[in-house]
Amino acid sequence: MRRLVVLLLLLLSAACAPVPSSAPDITVGSAGAPTPGDAAEVGGPPSSAAAVPPCDATASLRPSGPLPQPGAMPPGSTMERIAARGRLIAGVDQNTYLMGFRNPESGAIEGFDVDMAREVAKAVFGDPNRIQFKVLTSDQRIPALEQGEVDVVVRTMTINCERAQKVAFSSVYYQAGQRVLAARGSGITGPDSLGGRKVCATKGSSSLANVANIASKPVVVAVANWTDCLVMLQQGQVDAVSTDDTILAGLAAQDPYTEMVGPQFTQEPYGMGIPKANEDFVRFVNGVLERIRSDGTWAGIHQRWLGALDRGAAPPAAKYRD
Amino acid sequence: MRRKGTPMTAVVTAPTSRRVTGLVKSTPGRLSLIALLLVAVTVVVGALTAWSVQTRSAALEELANRSEPLSFAAQEVYRSMADADATAASAFLSGGVESPALRSRYEADIAKAAAALSTATGETSRSPEVGTALSTLAGQLPVYTGLVETARTHNRQGNPVGAAYLREASSLMRAQLLPAAQGLYRAETANVVRDQDSAGGGPWSELLLGLVALASLGFAQWYVTRRSNRVFNVGLVVATGLVLVSLLWVSIASAVVATTVSDSRENGSAQVDVLARARIATLTARGDETLTLVARGSGAAYEKRYGEVSGELGELLARGRSLATAPAVRDAVTSAEKNFQAWQEAHRRIREADDSGDYTTALGAAIGPDQGGAAVAFDNLDRDLVTAITQARTAFTGSVATARGALTGTVAVVALLALGAAAASVMGVWQRLKEYR
Repeated sequence: MRRLVVLLLLLLSAACAPVPSSAPDITVGSAGAPTPGDAAEVGGPPSSAAAVPPCDATASLRPSGPLPQPGAMPPGSTMERIAARGRLIAGVDQNTYLMGFRNPESGAIEGFDVDMAREVAKAVFGDPNRIQFKVLTSDQRIPALEQGEVDVVVRTMTINCERAQKVAFSSVYYQAGQRVLAARGSGITGPDSLGGRKVCATKGSSSLANVANIASKPVVVAVANWTDCLVMLQQGQVDAVSTDDTILAGLAAQDPYTEMVGPQFTQEPYGMGIPKANEDFVRFVNGVLERIRSDGTWAGIHQRWLGALDRGAAPPAAKYRD
Repeated sequence: MRRKGTPMTAVVTAPTSRRVTGLVKSTPGRLSLIALLLVAVTVVVGALTAWSVQTRSAALEELANRSEPLSFAAQEVYRSMADADATAASAFLSGGVESPALRSRYEADIAKAAAALSTATGETSRSPEVGTALSTLAGQLPVYTGLVETARTHNRQGNPVGAAYLREASSLMRAQLLPAAQGLYRAETANVVRDQDSAGGGPWSELLLGLVALASLGFAQWYVTRRSNRVFNVGLVVATGLVLVSLLWVSIASAVVATTVSDSRENGSAQVDVLARARIATLTARGDETLTLVARGSGAAYEKRYGEVSGELGELLARGRSLATAPAVRDAVTSAEKNFQAWQEAHRRIREADDSGDYTTALGAAIGPDQGGAAVAFDNLDRDLVTAITQARTAFTGSVATARGALTGTVAVVALLALGAAAASVMGVWQRLKEYR
């Protein structure tokens, strides 16, 4: 009788045991964050950088005498051709705050580089507004100059020997240096602490090559524009951005949760890029730069845009190779 | 009435096989078999015909209630998302805080995209291949709007990074959302065509079945006539008549369905498809035109695509006009073509101004509210296409409704006539069989 009761209890407990449920789970394909168009990780440093022989790239062509009066360009010169066209075509950036950017409120392109380009237009026409901007990404600068699409590129362009083989440069108009931008409290203190971290730079920039050559071996992520780097930093897709302090200052100004860390670990002398054949225009632009260095125009433009970065900095001295 | 063959009683005690052989050999046995056969044939033919009509009717129902609404929903998903993207780019170009008009247009686009998407997600089982596209759309649309809002916040604070967020949003739209929406539209449109094919096919199986029933009845009539002096057996004649009525009914109804479904294609869905693609091309071209200006001098890739897409748009409009059957549709498409010309003209002026360095004039011609500007021509073109699509869609809905009306009650009629034919043939044969008692 007791056995029977036990058996019944066993049967009862078996009957009450829950049946395994087959309710389906909800599967998600991926919660992958969106990336800026054509962002990509880069393997090693660009190969061509190593093959260039050393040179004195910052030495430019000496201005030939005093500047011609606006509206009276020497016949047959590049400047006369520009004057005949009625406007200077300048390759600039519209995505780098402080240097060359589109003012979201007015839609106008402004910045340190843009004001520099306007000075050239002013020297040719007597009017800084006789200028057409052609927005270029870092990697479009040299092709645009080689194909003659622009008269001049004023776009945080570092003078180096590799580029000097393809295009001509004015004298140095600003001396920048590469640093690192990271989120506050990220533990990143400079180029040495970037090992294995993702670091963003733009395609075709000298910064990209510099990042790839950092000894701690960061992972390089290449994008089209510097603001794309800030987007990826804010979305947690990269750990740091590394480029010239001028550009980083512009990014940091848009996001108080980021800060520039570490020392300048490279020297980045900025020059205006000019098609290699137009030597007369190089000399003309250098004349313009001589004038704005000495008459306080440079200091005014610098104070307006980069005053917070290096207050009271003097314009870099020009160096010529005749 | 003479008796023929062996009396049935002779085989009662025989083994089964001999009983069957005997049955078949005796006239009353054969008559009984024929009666059974006729019942089987008329009932089976009736059932198969009813089933076939039911299939046709179900395809029509699918067409009216599911595949066409889904294909329209897919088109709306694409259109509203593409319009949202073009509007966001225009708002960026206009500078400062976007105008209330552009903002509410963007919001309406997103709301419509979400509503159309929920319609499209309601039914997924038909085309399992759209599952991925739907989950991409449902998953990435909120991400897209998040990016646009981030861009907007930054723009309000004067941060140029806002433009980068907008670019990221736009590239998400172009790389993932729009291709998914296009895949969805293709799949749902293919369903429309499939339903039209299965609803509008010729009634060949019904005809064949009817002929089988008629042949069986004819054979029975011949047999019975041969064994009696009467030319006609009333029951069988009635049965034949009922089968004929059923066959005619089904044939006429199917012919009406085939014609109206073909109408729905010709006056409706074929035009809607071309016009919908024209509308998508319109939006793509507008997006490219705006982005060329956003890129400010380095938008050659966008300008190239504008050229390709607007060429395609011209062809689609010409095809839409030649396909148009209703005057209202043709008028709307003709007006669309005129507005397309005006837009092309405005675009030429935009490019001329921009290429000669006059960005402000180019911008004014692209997004300004003046007549003859690209924005006005684009809006008019889009409105014409909406009119034409609505008209063609109404024609489609009307045709499908007529087709469904033609099949009303057909299944019941076919079933009743089949049962009647079975009963009549049994009675006819029974009349003859009684004479052997």
